[in-house]
Amino acid sequence: MTIGERVRILNHRWRLDHLATHLTLGLFALVTVTPYLWLLSTSLKLRTEVFTPTPKWIPWPINFGNYAEVFDRAPFGTFLVNTIIVVCGILAVQLLTVTLAAYVFARRKFRGADILFLLFLIQMMIPIHATFLPNFLTLKSLDLLNTRVAMMLPFFASGYGTFLLRQAFKQIPRDLEDAAVIDGCGGLHFLWHVLIPLAKPTLVAFGLISLVSHWNDYLWPLIVTDTPDVRTLTIGLGMFVQQESGADWTLLMAATAFVTAPLMGIFLVFQRKFIESFMFTGLKG
Amino acid sequence: MRRGWVVGVLALMVVMLAAVGPADAAGKLIRLTFYYPVGVAGPLAKVIGDMTDAFNKDNPGIEVVPVYSGDYDPTLQKVQTSVMAGNPPDIFIVEISELPTLLAMNAVIPLDDYVKKAEGGKYWDDFFPAFRENSMVKGKIWWIPFQRSTPVFYWNKELFKKAGLDPERPPQTWGELRETAKKLTVREGNEVKQWGVTISGGWNDWEFEGFVRQNGSWLINPEGTKVNFDSKEAVEALEFWVDLMYKEKVGPPHSTWGFTPPDFVAQRTAMLYHSTGILTFLRTSAKFDFGVAFMPKNKTFGAEVGGGNLAISRKIPKERQDAAWKFIEWMTSSENAAQWSIASGYIATRKSAYEIPAMKEFVAKDPRYLVARDQLRYAVGKMMAPNFQKIREILKKQLDDAVDGKVSPKEAMVTVQKQVEAVIKR
Repeated sequence: MTIGERVRILNHRWRLDHLATHLTLGLFALVTVTPYLWLLSTSLKLRTEVFTPTPKWIPWPINFGNYAEVFDRAPFGTFLVNTIIVVCGILAVQLLTVTLAAYVFARRKFRGADILFLLFLIQMMIPIHATFLPNFLTLKSLDLLNTRVAMMLPFFASGYGTFLLRQAFKQIPRDLEDAAVIDGCGGLHFLWHVLIPLAKPTLVAFGLISLVSHWNDYLWPLIVTDTPDVRTLTIGLGMFVQQESGADWTLLMAATAFVTAPLMGIFLVFQRKFIESFMFTGLKG
Repeated sequence: MRRGWVVGVLALMVVMLAAVGPADAAGKLIRLTFYYPVGVAGPLAKVIGDMTDAFNKDNPGIEVVPVYSGDYDPTLQKVQTSVMAGNPPDIFIVEISELPTLLAMNAVIPLDDYVKKAEGGKYWDDFFPAFRENSMVKGKIWWIPFQRSTPVFYWNKELFKKAGLDPERPPQTWGELRETAKKLTVREGNEVKQWGVTISGGWNDWEFEGFVRQNGSWLINPEGTKVNFDSKEAVEALEFWVDLMYKEKVGPPHSTWGFTPPDFVAQRTAMLYHSTGILTFLRTSAKFDFGVAFMPKNKTFGAEVGGGNLAISRKIPKERQDAAWKFIEWMTSSENAAQWSIASGYIATRKSAYEIPAMKEFVAKDPRYLVARDQLRYAVGKMMAPNFQKIREILKKQLDDAVDGKVSPKEAMVTVQKQVEAVIKR
């Protein structure tokens, strides 16, 4: 056997292995993607083509009118801008408050630390609906009802984020801090230059969860806002789900495609970064 | 470029001045907030917007600002939160069974004085009696019927023909319904390809009330003080459901409110109990001919009404309440009741609305829109009680368990009776 032949056989085997992996992955991907494809297909159908005795995958005739009608029913452009402002606003402030709080809980000793942390944990257990009235009263007295700030303010601090990050900080060895302090890198410098870079996966995970969950917020924005100029995407989406008659499926799917597209886009653009950041965990060197 | 900028700023200032102008000229402008849910498919938010615009134009000095507030449940939450925070909307629509909840919160005012004076005293009697019932508690009128519906019976004429049945003759009685449903159920092995009849889930508590009516009884008295879930008639009604869904297996025991109309359109069910509010959806989605009929009777025809009413908040100044009434009276005029019915598919709330030319033309084109109105003769108010959400859940759970064969109809209704009594006494 020449070297060339051997390489060819190896190559061949490698390709087969690869093929099996790809087939399996492809199958899983298909399962995950199917609902989304169905959504896109329905959003391009005529009303009479949606509910056929046998499901039709290819919309024919293609009807882009659903998207036009969705935009005609509510100002989805404004809703998109508002949603981005609210979601990013919440995340920006959360990252600040959560990091500082987690740092103190993980690395500083002070009296009452345990009880205070317990309170943070209890906050996670309070059902969100129970907080609506007190939060509403606070916003009313601040004269902030019907503003974008009203949708953000109650979420500026996050018990969940603090908990998550505190655990991440705690896993970083004490030795590292000692070494850093000897080199003159203590306190907030240590937080900025050592803890945060090492806890990046946790921060990214928390950021994702925060973005997605506030993107999906419905009831709170509905309660604190009144006018379309400050309202968010989910409220526009809600207009297509009706309690008495069921939903307007073609329009609902078109609206859903529009509402989820930015999140899909963000994920497609950043997916490599996300996965990378999950891989570089642990203490190196 | 620079000149354009200056012109732009000037134009903006003019626009701003113009925007301030009229309000100043009219003296005091009363701005009213109006929370409304959207209950049926269609561009109803737009329709409401157009209606309020028309009102505002005709009534200088009042500006009604419509605020879309989700489905019925989120709307109730929004109203409750705002009322408790001392920031109530001036006018709002919520689901009719919530009146006792609103009264317990002291959230609304009685409208008798306004109603008496409206349209020379003839206003209130023009509403269909069944729609008036859910307004009357403690001898007073608390709100005005607006977006109102009732369940009706839909049948697929093509599938009737296929099964050798007369496509123009829907079942008239429970007995006929059972026999027809058997003939229309198509099975392949153990799998059901086509159900005979679907009694939609999700609001099955609402539909069950209709069956009890058809059997000559009731569930909660209008005052919300007495409950009658364990009557012989109610147990029989549930036994009929168990027959259809568990013994004969000609109807699905579980379904959701939103998915049964699509099932009907996809011909997965031949007959359907659902709100009159889906008629427009079916008409625009189905490729086959279908009919609308009264729900089959047992001892009598019977139905209950549903939907939402217009109310005025208590904790706002008198002059705002007066302005709010002006708006409600306008929204429920015969012409506007007709226009709203045509746009939404809800039943027009007033008899005279059906004399309006546009309405006459509309129902002449499709007389199926008249069936729900005609069935109102046999309809009564929907049950109401404080904490109605809780009562619904109790009833729905037992209905579901009974059609699953987990409990007997008798046991189920006795349990409901006990649990609801406890809720009402609290």
